[in-house]
Amino acid sequence: MNDLFAIIGQSLLQLLLVLATAPLISGIIKKIKARLERRRGASVLQPYFDLAKLMRKEVVVSSVSSWLFRATPYLVFTSTLVIVLLVPTVVTPVSLHWVGDIITVIYLFAFGRFFVALVGLDTGSAFGGLGSSREMSIASIIEPAMMLAIFTAAVTAGSTNLSVIVDNLTTTPASMMNPAHLLAFSGLFVVALAETGRVPIDNPATHLELTMIHEAMILEYSGRYLAFIEWSSQIKLMIFLALLSNIFFPIGMATTWAPWALVVGSVAFFSKVVALAVIVAVVESTNAKLRLFRVPELLMVAFILSLLALFLYFIVGG
Amino acid sequence: MALTNLQIISLLIDIFAAAILVTAFLIVSSRSLVFYIRLFAVQSFFLGVVAFLVVLGYGETHILIAAVLTIAIKAVAIPVVLTKVIERLHVRKEIDFIVNVSVSLLLCGVIVILADSVANSILSGQQDNASGVSRVLSVSIAVMLIGLFIMMSRKKAVTQIVGLLTMENGIFLSGLSITYGMPLIVEVGIFFDILIAVLILGVFVFRISKTFESISIESLRSLRH
Amino acid sequence: MNTILFALLLGFPVIGTILCGLLHKRRVLERVSTICSGLTFLSAFWLIWKVVQETNISSPDGWWYADGLSAYIAVIVSGSAFIVTLYSVGYLRRQIRQRKVGGPKVWQYYFLLNAFLFTMMFVLLSNNLGFLWIGAEATTLATAFLVAFYERESSIEAAWKYVIICSVGIALALFGIILTYFSALHVIPAPDNALNWSSLMLVAKELDPAVLKLALIFVLVGFGTKAGLAPMHTWKPDAYGEAPAPISALMAAGLVNVALYAIMRFYILVNKAVDGGFASTLFIIFGLVSMGVAVPFVFLQKDFKKLLAYSSVEHVGIIVFAIGLGTPLSFFAALLHLLNNAVGKTLLFLTAGNIRMAYRTKLMGRVTGAIKVMPVSSTFLILGVFAITGWPPFGVFVSELTIISAGFASDTPVPSLIFILFLATIFVGFINSTARMIFGVPRTAVKGHEADPFSLVLLGLLLAALLLLGVFMPSSLQLCIQNAVTVLCG
Repeated sequence: MNDLFAIIGQSLLQLLLVLATAPLISGIIKKIKARLERRRGASVLQPYFDLAKLMRKEVVVSSVSSWLFRATPYLVFTSTLVIVLLVPTVVTPVSLHWVGDIITVIYLFAFGRFFVALVGLDTGSAFGGLGSSREMSIASIIEPAMMLAIFTAAVTAGSTNLSVIVDNLTTTPASMMNPAHLLAFSGLFVVALAETGRVPIDNPATHLELTMIHEAMILEYSGRYLAFIEWSSQIKLMIFLALLSNIFFPIGMATTWAPWALVVGSVAFFSKVVALAVIVAVVESTNAKLRLFRVPELLMVAFILSLLALFLYFIVGG
Repeated sequence: MALTNLQIISLLIDIFAAAILVTAFLIVSSRSLVFYIRLFAVQSFFLGVVAFLVVLGYGETHILIAAVLTIAIKAVAIPVVLTKVIERLHVRKEIDFIVNVSVSLLLCGVIVILADSVANSILSGQQDNASGVSRVLSVSIAVMLIGLFIMMSRKKAVTQIVGLLTMENGIFLSGLSITYGMPLIVEVGIFFDILIAVLILGVFVFRISKTFESISIESLRSLRH
Repeated sequence: MNTILFALLLGFPVIGTILCGLLHKRRVLERVSTICSGLTFLSAFWLIWKVVQETNISSPDGWWYADGLSAYIAVIVSGSAFIVTLYSVGYLRRQIRQRKVGGPKVWQYYFLLNAFLFTMMFVLLSNNLGFLWIGAEATTLATAFLVAFYERESSIEAAWKYVIICSVGIALALFGIILTYFSALHVIPAPDNALNWSSLMLVAKELDPAVLKLALIFVLVGFGTKAGLAPMHTWKPDAYGEAPAPISALMAAGLVNVALYAIMRFYILVNKAVDGGFASTLFIIFGLVSMGVAVPFVFLQKDFKKLLAYSSVEHVGIIVFAIGLGTPLSFFAALLHLLNNAVGKTLLFLTAGNIRMAYRTKLMGRVTGAIKVMPVSSTFLILGVFAITGWPPFGVFVSELTIISAGFASDTPVPSLIFILFLATIFVGFINSTARMIFGVPRTAVKGHEADPFSLVLLGLLLAALLLLGVFMPSSLQLCIQNAVTVLCG
């Protein structure tokens, strides 16, 4: 019984942590981008205010849309929350680690993407369909790339369970600098950019419908539906940053739930995530969005880098 | 756990060799001639670093001069020459591909597998005698074959020069990996041969562009059979 | 003593190159080049005489080496170079008179010609495989601008193809050499020695067969590109077609033999180290493929010099095939064929140059009735064509017949049958194209006339040599070839 309470408590803690800080990370990225463009930019807390505002606003729903339209924001949000429970953030053996491994995570992402893509078609607007088809073609290259990148780490650890992968690396720090790992990191980084719809694949701040990919699918959403979708995107970004930092550089992660370890773990986790967020912001500011037919080329590079990482593990020896 | 010097150097050699392979892939994935030359310069620089590391880690001092030459000639001199050629020609991009980027990248992935099996067959009989760097052999054969692939699948003349140079880089790396480099005189001779070849090819590219509209290899079709 | 000999063989071309680079008066250039190439030729005779006596000689520092094989080929190469240089004198004078070439081009030509000879001798005489490679790459570089000599669109295109394809090939050969070095390092502790031919032959049995097999493939593809073995021959027709006739002649007679020499060296080494017929099978296949590739193109060709280039591909195939057969008889035939091919190609290319200069066109379709306009050259041409396609009583017939008999004496007669088939078809195609050139009414208004008597005498000498070789084998020649055969047998 105690165990059950412990598990529930720990999972809730992790959930609340991520839910609370995801908009902050998003805000940091926007702020840095603004600064790099020599603007003052909105405050880093602005996403919180935006979410709060959206929650209060009225929802407008197209008359031709179905139950899918109303259900999807909750479906996406819930699936994202489940992913949060599976990914190690501050503490390394995640309490619910036996529930799912990396393949579960990838399929949960796919689950969310599936529904959002359907919604794009559901409202009957041309732009929604445009966004859905683009998103799916990007996903078809990105999903294998993501699998391969994480598999490289998984092969080293001998398991696809995220916590096991992370544990394995904490015990052999030298393998962090392995060329296979570094390549997998770069591959997964590009994947992260693609999955979260960042420049150079997709511009999250664009208001031109013809250049949208992710935004186009959710164009019709308003009010609390939009709030949940937005929040899910922010959490997704944070999850990817967590994956990038913890699978490849699991330094300073807490291995127990002792308070001191938790403090150290949180500090380590947030510094890594913020550092990665800064890198993402810099990459976004220094690159132009690619023309659509060039995007598969970039994604293919990511795929090949991940594939190479896997090869190199076998060739050069982990 | 503390790493010995040798282990650190081996790790660094692995990282740089992997970086060389990545630059070869990036050349395949890119369209800009300027980017090709920059990638080649970076690749040659990493190659020089690997040579230095071999000197440091295994005490084969005769490669020191080869390492310096690699950086001086391949990472600096040749890219400068090629950049001047491109500037005069006002050609910036490779537009038509014989094989498009995505398929090229996949083929290069297959090439890496092939290179690994070739390397294994070379090293199979010599496990105990292999030099400490022989893991890098697969990478070097892959780079060599990717250089060959670049030459066969691209049309612009400058790209073909870059492909040839990538091939030579791969061969030099393979020499480093299994034999710690050939005797000094031979290496120096090879370097100057390559330098002169690039200069001659550069002159030809000039003349081709003066006589044809572009420097695309496709226009060189008049001598068919 | 040996050092002096090597110094002479390498030094004369170097002196020639330097002097031609510094002095630009035409007469001086002509004299310097002919003297230097002639002296190199004489030194080559001295070399082969010495080698016959001492089996092999090397310089004290171990960098240079010569045995029966390299001395024999050195004589052929330097002889071709000498004749080509002599011929170039007249050729360039005519070109200058026709205003095809100007002042700076002339000294560049002689400069590069001497450099070309130097690089070829460098390859033939080096003991160190790395040096061999450097020399081979240097031959490509020296001839690059010679192929592009006339600076037409097509010339530059041909030179570009030539440099790129040969550089790729040579790079692959370098990889093969690295592999050989790798296998040698385990057996020969001193790294500087491990690339030396003489040391390698001593420890051949202990080298790793698997590595050497792979090395042979790379070297065969690599140096085969230089020699013009199919399917790496694609640069040949363009390069031979565009280069000035004497240069094409020297490339077909000199460069081809140098590349074949490199291939033969590796053949000897690998044959000693690897059991079974791996090297032989490989060589037979490549040889037959080259001959087969030449067949359709010989029928389709419209340009005479390109036709000759395909004939060169065919003959390289023949020589490689013969070496692949692996018996002393076939080795003898291969080496004899080397000589016959060199003489024949020189004759044909130079004669073709004559005709081309007179008719101002390369296309055979436009050249008709040459027999009336240039009786001497066209006689040489038709006789040369007969010679090169293997008619008796010329030398090529003898060597090809010997190859065929060696082929039937071996285990499988099938390759030899294919060999005969290809020979026959190529003969038909060749004669077909050339006859139209010679006979018939002169169609276009021909401004040209016969070449100068000196050049014609040279050509006549070549033809006479070819005839002589077909009917009579001087004992000294037989001795030299025997020596080389012994080397080939390992």
